[in-house]
Amino acid sequence: MAKLSLMFENKLVKEVPIGSRPVRIGRSPDNDLVVDNLAVSNDHARVYFDSGRLVVEDRGSLNGTFVNDLRVERATLHDGDSIWVGKHHIKVDAIGDAPLPYQSARKTAAPMINETMVLDTKVRREMLQQAAAMGERTQFAADRIKVPTIVVLSGKTDHKEYILTNKLTTIGRSAMATIKLRGWFKPEMAAQINQRDDGYYVGSGSKIPAVNGAPIPGPTKLRDGDLIEVAGIRLNFIVRE
Amino acid sequence: MQGASGLPARLPGECGLQIVSGGATDVGMVRTNNEDCFRIVPSLRLFVVSDGMGGEAHGEVASALAVETVVKHCLEGTENPAAPLLGESKPGLAPRSCRLMSALYLANQRVFQSAAEHTEQRGMGATLTAAWIDELTLSIGHVGDSRVYLLRTGVLQQLTSDHSLVAEQVRRGILTASEAESSTMQNVLLRALGTQPEVEIDMEQVGLFPNDVLLLCSDGLTRMATEPEIAGALQSEPDPQKAAEKLIRLANEGGGVDNITAVVVALKPEPKGWFSWLRRGAHKSAGENGSPGGH
Repeated sequence: MAKLSLMFENKLVKEVPIGSRPVRIGRSPDNDLVVDNLAVSNDHARVYFDSGRLVVEDRGSLNGTFVNDLRVERATLHDGDSIWVGKHHIKVDAIGDAPLPYQSARKTAAPMINETMVLDTKVRREMLQQAAAMGERTQFAADRIKVPTIVVLSGKTDHKEYILTNKLTTIGRSAMATIKLRGWFKPEMAAQINQRDDGYYVGSGSKIPAVNGAPIPGPTKLRDGDLIEVAGIRLNFIVRE
Repeated sequence: MQGASGLPARLPGECGLQIVSGGATDVGMVRTNNEDCFRIVPSLRLFVVSDGMGGEAHGEVASALAVETVVKHCLEGTENPAAPLLGESKPGLAPRSCRLMSALYLANQRVFQSAAEHTEQRGMGATLTAAWIDELTLSIGHVGDSRVYLLRTGVLQQLTSDHSLVAEQVRRGILTASEAESSTMQNVLLRALGTQPEVEIDMEQVGLFPNDVLLLCSDGLTRMATEPEIAGALQSEPDPQKAAEKLIRLANEGGGVDNITAVVVALKPEPKGWFSWLRRGAHKSAGENGSPGGH
């Protein structure tokens, strides 16, 4: 049975049989072979049987389709060939070249790369740079360092300004709190701010904080300029550059 | 506790925390061997989780070696604080944090050396996440995609950053958190112990509060169970050992595609001295006036 094997760093990511319908390769999830990398176009390439020969066709992808190091628009494939898209390569297994009757082999759950693997520093840098260059949501800016800061607008605290450097920032009267509240009747731990991958989230402690005037229903992602009110103090969340 | 809000602030050390912990690890529903490893050292209040990688049985070798090295180095450092430290010391770090960082540097060296000396072990490595509690300060040393969570006042908060390609893409704003969750690239790590001669280690210090619950876990749990499910399991099961076992069941019910490890640490208040006397007195007299501040 002819098949394509998607490989990443010599590890098998996914296999698909080549049936009578073209195998669609690309980044968007409706492809038969989804290649999860920003260097790959949404509709990148197709592999199909044409008069008994196995053919790869580039779909006008931005970064090209390569067969054994050669950039191609359209090429005949042989058993053992490698198709390169981005950092991934697809091994061609054309044994038993005859097209199989169409099977609904599509939409089998995409298995993840089974083995955990570690990228070496070079590949890692390349992949992240590439991803950055391709980033369609390009708020990405590597050269500007963002410094998330809490500025105290009103209320008694041990400092007027705090740079959020830790994964967890606690607000309260406790000696263990990061933002220390002054005053005997202040709560030990009024609220907390957690740094997650996609931003900073404020959550309740013994008090429920309000963000921009509305009490939060649960951990709430902070945006630049948000006003946090808790235990009688007012804080401003600012992202400085 | 709210009734005691009129009392002066307690200093760390004046009121210790009683620590109860439990842990469990399971091969999962798909794999045939368990490459995860964990260790609880009650005398040190040290908790370690590691997820090994590398073909055949070498992931197990890597995670066991990494955990053993970390525990041993921390024990030695506690008996002899003057024992040599690896790596540069950073200002502002507690002595325990420096010792823990040193332990992770050493574990990296040991695993890397072992892989270099035994050709069949080539490419092996391990994640390592360690939590060490000193009075009210928690030190976390971390490399890889195992995690530490803190459940406090019902809010589950992640205290570590995954060193994975997808997490890095989220941090750079290239992927959203939900895109990362459905990515097929989740197994690609940027950092692990033992794969390079040098490694960068994350060190985090967190102030603890009574009733905090910590969870250390491997990615076999976090990929199979959502955070609300994890928070729910921790809240509904006050016994740490039972909570850890419940989390394993949760991951297996979700598919169990990878090995699963969970270590749960509950910090209970342990009042001492006049403070506890006052509280006990308050409890006794609660039927009369119910006010702990009435003295």
